[in-house]
Amino acid sequence: MFYRLSGTYHTSYEADRKLWKIPTDRWLVVAVLLLALLAPLYVSPLYLGSYVLPWVIWSAAALSLTLLMGLAGQLHFGFAAVMAIGAYASIHLVRFGVPFELALLLSGLIAAVIGAVFGGAALRVKGLYLVMATLAMQYLVDWVVVNVPAISGGAHATLRTPAVSFLFMPVESLAARYWLALGWAVLLTVFFMNVKRTSFGRALVAIRDKDFAAAVIGVDPFKTKLMAFFTSSFMGGVTGAILAFCFYRAVTPEQFGFNVSIQLVAMVLVGGLGSVIGSWLGAGFVLLAPIFLTNLVSGLAAAGWVPVSQNFLSHLPLMIYGAMIIGFLLLEPLGLAKIYDNIRKYFLVWPFRHARS
Amino acid sequence: MSSDHVLVCDNIVRRFGGVVALKNVSVAVGRGEIFGLVGPNGSGKTTLVNAITGFYPPQEGRITLDGQQINGLKPFRIASMGVARTFQNVALFHGMSVLDNILMGRHIFMKPNPLASFFYPWWARKEEVAHRRHVEEVIDLLQLAPARDEHVDVIPLGLQKRVELARALCAEPRLLVLDEPMAGMNQEEKEYMVRFILDAQEALGLTVLIIEHHMDVVTALCDRVLVLNNGQEIAQGPAREAIADPRVVEAYIGKPRHAA
Repeated sequence: MFYRLSGTYHTSYEADRKLWKIPTDRWLVVAVLLLALLAPLYVSPLYLGSYVLPWVIWSAAALSLTLLMGLAGQLHFGFAAVMAIGAYASIHLVRFGVPFELALLLSGLIAAVIGAVFGGAALRVKGLYLVMATLAMQYLVDWVVVNVPAISGGAHATLRTPAVSFLFMPVESLAARYWLALGWAVLLTVFFMNVKRTSFGRALVAIRDKDFAAAVIGVDPFKTKLMAFFTSSFMGGVTGAILAFCFYRAVTPEQFGFNVSIQLVAMVLVGGLGSVIGSWLGAGFVLLAPIFLTNLVSGLAAAGWVPVSQNFLSHLPLMIYGAMIIGFLLLEPLGLAKIYDNIRKYFLVWPFRHARS
Repeated sequence: MSSDHVLVCDNIVRRFGGVVALKNVSVAVGRGEIFGLVGPNGSGKTTLVNAITGFYPPQEGRITLDGQQINGLKPFRIASMGVARTFQNVALFHGMSVLDNILMGRHIFMKPNPLASFFYPWWARKEEVAHRRHVEEVIDLLQLAPARDEHVDVIPLGLQKRVELARALCAEPRLLVLDEPMAGMNQEEKEYMVRFILDAQEALGLTVLIIEHHMDVVTALCDRVLVLNNGQEIAQGPAREAIADPRVVEAYIGKPRHAA
């Protein structure tokens, strides 16, 4: 971050539209990618398995949802259901004998088709009514999964994921599972940034910002929204499958309940709507902040610094967590991504005061 | 009608409940013409434009673009047939930069597709660059280069209106509809805008339908005008003559009182 933008000129339109236009940025990306790839070497298995791995997967989920909510502006409160479809579809496909790589793709497609069918029906309404319609999807899918034994194996059954390998790498060891999840999350990240610089992304944002103005320059509102639902559900479906195979490894319907949908919406909102880095930060915050706060509070309590009852103590981390979410949104409604951006801009011109993007 | 008319509206009627906003309005805009639409507030100018662009399709009458019927089509279809418009109160996309807003104008020539975005270096990049080249020509024409990378909600209104004009021009429209392009502008900005419209019309051979309140602008720009009052035509013809028509003067400022 301690570099200047001046002196960087682009002489072609290709260069002007690069994802990372500044050489230093490119080196930074390479460094972060290397750090992430080598994480199994220097992060203890406990932290890798219970913090880093879920963070990577939920970031992918947040990216999938923010394509729909952030770019296209269509609220979706049933996204966990989309992920459930992907997870269950992939398990059954693999059990049926479909190779894992193909099963991932197919489970994404199945989730995309079902998501788009619900989306198409829900798109007759807007705003809060769309929220209700997508909630209906959540409950319908939940109900079907629980009540059709062929899918869930019974109301209280747990479905174990079969042993698979991805491109000849057995998805068994923690490192292998982490690399697969990381690969998918990186793929989604690059895809998302590509969407933002191409006509598809612009059409989505146009629909979000002013649908009548979008129509008057030739954007078909219904088709574009449906495409957003389809794409987002595809991403969510595959992420659900990755979540099942790489993290949970045994799937129950409760893992994809309504509260998970709300958590996903929280990740997207706290991170910043439609932002790539916001999805990563938001997912990290929503997942890790409660754990971190619990550890902190119990640590302080053990040292005798928080003289309150045991009952209150168990609620304290959640209260601080809630206050933090409200605080962040009051301080910066555009989310953690905007806070990151402010800090970055501050350092870009430091020691001067004013930044021009 | 003959083929040198781009837009022909034939006996357009549009009602909103009991209110008849357009009563049998007919108009024909010739190729390469700048045609003005004039009238007091609430006379039906914007309603006529909304009928043409498909937002409020007329209940009776027929609208054709180069002989093809367009009334009854959805707005995005009419747009893709070559009708571009700007709005009275600027309708830009606030989440985008000036450049991306203008690129949006090329939408009808582009094929948005998530797979193309996914395989950007092999698929979408060629298209993006080709259209960027075209957009830059329009940016040059309207002198928008200094504002290119600004966010669209931080630039002044006069510039926003110019960006909207640029976005419409990028669609290479057969018919360009401008709904009060000078609303809220000062004299200097107005003069700039008139110059840009004339430049663009000359460079791109446009046919323009323009709603405008400023009579100096109307007489400077328009070949012919249609004056509406209460949804009815009260005068049509060359700009100066139509505006001087006693019924037009009456509609705007009332009957002269003949004091003895």
